[in-house]
Amino acid sequence: MASPEYVVLAVEAEKGGEHRETVATLEDALDTVRHLAVEIVEGGRKPLRFEIACTTPGVKVRSRGTPRYRFFVNARGEGAGGDGSELDPWAAPDTAAEQLAAHHRKGVLELREGQRIRLVHHDTFGATSLERRKKAAEGLARVVFSFVVAAMIIPVLAIIGYLFYRAWPVLSWSFIFRNPEAYMTAGGIWAPLVGTFYLAIISLLIDAPIGILAAIYLNEYAPDNWFTRTINLAVLNLAGVPSIVHGLFGFGAFVLFARMGKSVLAASCTLAVMSLPVIVTSAREALASVPMSFREACWNMGATRWQTIRTIVLPNSMSGILTGVIFEICRTAGETAPILFTGAVFYYSGLAESGVDWLLPYGLFDTCMALQYHLFALTTQVRGVSEEIQFGTAAVLIALTLCINSVSISLRVYLRSRKKW
Amino acid sequence: MNGVETAPVGGSTSPVANRRGVSVLSERLIEWIIRLCGWSAIFFVLAIFFFVFREAAPVFGELDFKEFFTSPNWRPTSEVRPQYGILALLTGSLALTGIAMLVAVPFGLGAAVFVSEFCSGKVKETLKILVELLAAIPSVVWGFVGLMVLAPLIMRSTGAPVGVNLLNGGIIVALISLPLIVSIGEDALKAVPDSYREAAISLGASRWEIIYRVLFPAAKNGLLAALLLGIGRSIGETMAVLMCTGHAVQIPHSLLDPIRTLTATIAAELGETVEGDTHYRVLFVIGVVLFAITFVVNLVADIVVKGVRSERTVRFLRKARQ
Amino acid sequence: MDTHVVFDNLTVAYGDQVALQDLSLEIPRNQIFGVIGPSNSGKTTFLKCINRTIEFIPSARVSGTVAIDGLDVLSMKNVYALRRRIGMVFPLPVGLPLSIYDNVAYAPRRAGVGDRGELDTLVERCLKQAMLWDEVKDRMHMLGTKLSGGQQQRLTLARALSHRPEILCLDEFSIAIDPVTTMKIEDVLLELKEYITIVLVTNLVQQARRIADRTAFFNNAHLVEVGETETIFASPANEMTHAYVNGDFG
Repeated sequence: MASPEYVVLAVEAEKGGEHRETVATLEDALDTVRHLAVEIVEGGRKPLRFEIACTTPGVKVRSRGTPRYRFFVNARGEGAGGDGSELDPWAAPDTAAEQLAAHHRKGVLELREGQRIRLVHHDTFGATSLERRKKAAEGLARVVFSFVVAAMIIPVLAIIGYLFYRAWPVLSWSFIFRNPEAYMTAGGIWAPLVGTFYLAIISLLIDAPIGILAAIYLNEYAPDNWFTRTINLAVLNLAGVPSIVHGLFGFGAFVLFARMGKSVLAASCTLAVMSLPVIVTSAREALASVPMSFREACWNMGATRWQTIRTIVLPNSMSGILTGVIFEICRTAGETAPILFTGAVFYYSGLAESGVDWLLPYGLFDTCMALQYHLFALTTQVRGVSEEIQFGTAAVLIALTLCINSVSISLRVYLRSRKKW
Repeated sequence: MNGVETAPVGGSTSPVANRRGVSVLSERLIEWIIRLCGWSAIFFVLAIFFFVFREAAPVFGELDFKEFFTSPNWRPTSEVRPQYGILALLTGSLALTGIAMLVAVPFGLGAAVFVSEFCSGKVKETLKILVELLAAIPSVVWGFVGLMVLAPLIMRSTGAPVGVNLLNGGIIVALISLPLIVSIGEDALKAVPDSYREAAISLGASRWEIIYRVLFPAAKNGLLAALLLGIGRSIGETMAVLMCTGHAVQIPHSLLDPIRTLTATIAAELGETVEGDTHYRVLFVIGVVLFAITFVVNLVADIVVKGVRSERTVRFLRKARQ
Repeated sequence: MDTHVVFDNLTVAYGDQVALQDLSLEIPRNQIFGVIGPSNSGKTTFLKCINRTIEFIPSARVSGTVAIDGLDVLSMKNVYALRRRIGMVFPLPVGLPLSIYDNVAYAPRRAGVGDRGELDTLVERCLKQAMLWDEVKDRMHMLGTKLSGGQQQRLTLARALSHRPEILCLDEFSIAIDPVTTMKIEDVLLELKEYITIVLVTNLVQQARRIADRTAFFNNAHLVEVGETETIFASPANEMTHAYVNGDFG
């Protein structure tokens, strides 16, 4: 068996000039690479790649196919380190030869017959092909995701714009402040607007104390046991109950069982139960943001849990709690399904045009109109309503929601910038 | 030494400790009020089930449950023989949810990834605020949009005779569920520790690879929860569906078929019923079914999210015991 | 020895883990009582039992007695009155998100002191005792959270003194503050011991040597040795004590 020999090939960048040498051992081959590199550089030319092929004497070297090993040199690479990989190349053929020799001595680098080592030589600041590919993929990812977001936001903005555009002819102060007339086919939306406010405010008055106290319980008092976990589960599930089921519950519990009848009160209670879980959750987050060390400092001074909550925890989380409450109440104030059977009506007789009765048309046990229900009925149940009025109602409803929510969000941003610790 | 006055002996004779302090009793009282409020969530969940069930219960004897769940014939007002099969309504709800999720999940997760990984600072804040504002739009407005804007569009582009159908409802409900999926998805991605990302970067991974191979697997529980909660929301949506899916009680065979969901049926028909009669009670039975479905979906979502925590806890405990 | 606090077979466990085993100890009145020992030896648990803040740890189980002037603390009904008799300073400085004035006036207000004049005098006295008055007297409305670490620690001391405690406990108070402030506070303690019993838990062995009258050495949930400070340091009876005070471990 003839012992293998090593064929060293050096290819230059320009004109593809080639040098070939045959040596007996791998170490010699690496040395040859070194001196060939020096030769080429001193001749004012640039090396492109070096290859070491292991063959049996007499057998032709195959230069097709992927080499067994591929290493990289970038003369303008950073630093003296590198491991010869494409992303972290060696800085010079010298280093390459040294490192490869070291690998070979350690037994890590073995070249068998038919196998080749290729040493690619770059002299650029630019990225290697791998880096370029990765950069392209990243750019593509960015574009794709931006497109996704734009595809979401732009149509929505367009829709809202279109709503206001169609509503424009009818939007005016008198539209807002006058009551509906002629069986709801003309006039304004004042009474339904007030009705929505009634529902929002009354459900807020019911919800805020219970929700905040419940959040205080869960964050400040509740022990870490199965019962507390059940409460947390209940909060989550309450949040997931469909709005129409809340409506059914409200009907069965408040309208029938509690004998409130179809009324503002029954509808507000129903909305309150619906928004409770979100208020509890956001109040909890606000409470949890107050550091534990404050509470401990107070307890060690002899303050009771409630004193600590009242004097330190609540005041410092109130802003977060309030913004959460306002946000959620606004959201539920726009809900229609819960009030369908518990208090909202479309036709309401005896609306005043001025005076206190105009400002406050409903009593606690009266049914009421509500803007969200008004929109629904206008578009699906009444004939002869101009499209402008329909769009106008929708526009006012959206504007109302967006305004109040923007206020609550700005409040939150402002308060966050005034952190006390 | 700055002159420190000698203070009298402290303890129980000192004036400070003697004044009106807090009675242990009033503290206990306040604690009990707070505790009761804390228990209220459980109370309300049980109450919802109880009161809906209460109105539905009397009809359980005479309702043929096999027909209820397997028949697509929903004819409660028939004078000859009222039929109470909800199969068509159920498939309507499921089909709607399916279409909605098909649209909402790619866009929602994509947006969540964008906000979480490709944005920072002001842009991120602005986008998050936009998503919150989107979430605040009442569903009846979305229903209006479906009816007045999307329906004509569908009719024009597909030549369908009617623009209120499964497709319309699916798109609108997708728009409604989007903010939920985006915000929960973003939370899930945010919870993946930065060290995962840094490790991947140092291995030379590109942004896309980090998202696909590191973040998604790491956040999969949270993302799954986002999907499940989106499903729950879609199944429960009432007003938008009522306004944009038409009123045909039928099993849909194409996207352009009008359908009726469980939720829309209750909303549309309860007002027409007489309190206490069979139709009325069966609508409450549908309410119980809806409650059960969303209860299960939320329970699964909760377990899925907890699954991460308990896994981590178990691993940690095992290590600690070694 | 005029005994102020007596521990009798106090045992504390967190779940399965024993934090203090059969601790029996006497703390004399109006002296500085030092407690040294490596971490996790039970020193902080020991302090928490004195003012019953151990109750805030849900897994803690306590047996034995802790008696202040003969009355068992662990079975007292009004735990809040108890805590007002004891001042506590923690390792990490804490400024409450109130004005400096309100920080110090917090405890007296909760106890019912409402008169502005009385509060003014009290706040000034406590801040002077804590060696903080000169630095903050012109900015009493500044938020306590905005002070430096050393100032916050002295503020904590002022708060601890504001409810006229008969016992002052300090748990490794110098960990997060600079040596100058530490020295200042040590000087304050030497003055305060005239009329307050001071329990000083410290990881700085030399601190105990400097200012403690008697010192106890805890190790691994047990009280190893207790006695006059000089004895403990110069000629301890126990080998482990000797090893610890000479820096061989911990």
